[in-house]
Amino acid sequence: MQDLVLQGIVNGLILGAIYGLIGVGLNVIFGVLRVVNFAHGEFLVLGAYLALMLAQYAGLSPFWALPITFLVFCLIGYLLYFVLIPRLSKSNDPETSSLLLMFGVSIMLGAIMLLLFDADARSLEYEIEPVFLMLGNIILPTIRLITLAISIVIVALVAWLLYGTLTGKALRAIIMNRDAVRIVGIKTERLAAVAFALGIGLAGVTGVLTAMVFPSFSPFMGNDYTLIGFVVIVLGGLGNPVGALVGALLYAVTEQVASVFFNPSIGTICGFVLMVATIFVRPNGLFGKQVMR
Amino acid sequence: MLQIQGLKKQFGGLVALNGVSWHLPPKQILGVIGMNGSGKTTMLNCINGLYVPTAGKVLLHGKDITGWPVEQVAREGIGRTFQVPRVFPHMTLLDNLDVSQLHKGRTAEERYAVSVKWLEKVELYRLRHNMAEELSGGQQKLLELARIMVSQPKVVLLDEPFAGVNPGLAQLLISVIKTLPTEHDCSVVLVSHDLTSIYQLSNHIIVMNEGSILSQGSADVVKNDPAVIEAYLGA
Repeated sequence: MQDLVLQGIVNGLILGAIYGLIGVGLNVIFGVLRVVNFAHGEFLVLGAYLALMLAQYAGLSPFWALPITFLVFCLIGYLLYFVLIPRLSKSNDPETSSLLLMFGVSIMLGAIMLLLFDADARSLEYEIEPVFLMLGNIILPTIRLITLAISIVIVALVAWLLYGTLTGKALRAIIMNRDAVRIVGIKTERLAAVAFALGIGLAGVTGVLTAMVFPSFSPFMGNDYTLIGFVVIVLGGLGNPVGALVGALLYAVTEQVASVFFNPSIGTICGFVLMVATIFVRPNGLFGKQVMR
Repeated sequence: MLQIQGLKKQFGGLVALNGVSWHLPPKQILGVIGMNGSGKTTMLNCINGLYVPTAGKVLLHGKDITGWPVEQVAREGIGRTFQVPRVFPHMTLLDNLDVSQLHKGRTAEERYAVSVKWLEKVELYRLRHNMAEELSGGQQKLLELARIMVSQPKVVLLDEPFAGVNPGLAQLLISVIKTLPTEHDCSVVLVSHDLTSIYQLSNHIIVMNEGSILSQGSADVVKNDPAVIEAYLGA
């Protein structure tokens, strides 16, 4: 039993790192722009399809697809920002409007993927040897270890961007008080576009990673990932990208360890119970702080 | 330097600012006093772009900046503080000042040197690695002043800098504000209810009442103006 629990914790940590990436992307966009990106999961699945196309038509491995997908999706996000987001500021309730707008984008992207790729589940094909490693009695699938390492590197890079660069500090300042940022002479529009690009880029790259870890993906899976993203940022704290990672680890470990004792559906329910309990104890999430608007 | 001409701001049927005009020469401090609701803060908001005036003009060095966006007004050289300070609470003091220099094109070393200079000036250097939220209200006002000064503004608009500040910090604020025109080539518009500080610091004083200028002149002129005595200072 002890080995099974340890196995659950390890699985949870690995999955949590990927869930964390979903939450970090979602949280960067929400924190800086106050845009509820309901289409985050669809962008993620679209990233998986791009990796699939790169493999089929260019013969590129998923590892090459990671940086390419990130750059392509950052560009898409940057351009999409100017098409979609500035209009929201004219609304009396931009946050609700953003939710509805991105919900529409989510449906549109799902339909486009369905048209382009059909409803069949697809999977990325690649070979990794050895397939798994053993740590005592704990099984460590090699690809999951690799994606864990990649996720950690990506989160570290995002943390460096946010905490170690001047642009990142300005992004964090916008999360805290957008008006005060404008008052010191910073043009928030371009920074907001950078944040949106980063969020969409992270969604794309997370899509490639999920396609490497999970057996298949289809146009219908976007909502599932969006839901996980929301659970994670509610746990960690809205607007706090680092909190999203911690929230994701907690959620995934709870889910995986619970799955050791019960069936996987109960494991998922336990993850949601954790979220509800967190909201009761800390309504702003574990790392959430009140922001001035 | 800074000039406003016939500045008017109307919210529906309420006229908050009614055709106010004045001229602030270089390296001068203009004190603005008036009762709550007299239009002082509305006037500052119209100058720094938070509000678009209903009528009138804001001129900086003769350039019409009326209705410019807040960030563009700031880049043009007008800094602003608020009655309730708007610092970045979950950032260190150094980072607060660092962010404010984003548009100045300085290197990290240059930014650090300027930040340290201003943190020393407002006596917050020892707290430079603390989060801004850990500061008292008065210290946050000092930080906010330092944050606008690191970008070397030509004019600073100070909205109630002494409100809710303990006497020791208020004295420090007064001494720092006093140096802005002389040591930093900066003009100041100082809005305050603290008459002693206004009289002590200002070269010229404007008394506002119901959106208009009731009286103006030196401290002595204002103090002895019967209209001011009746409307604002009391018997």
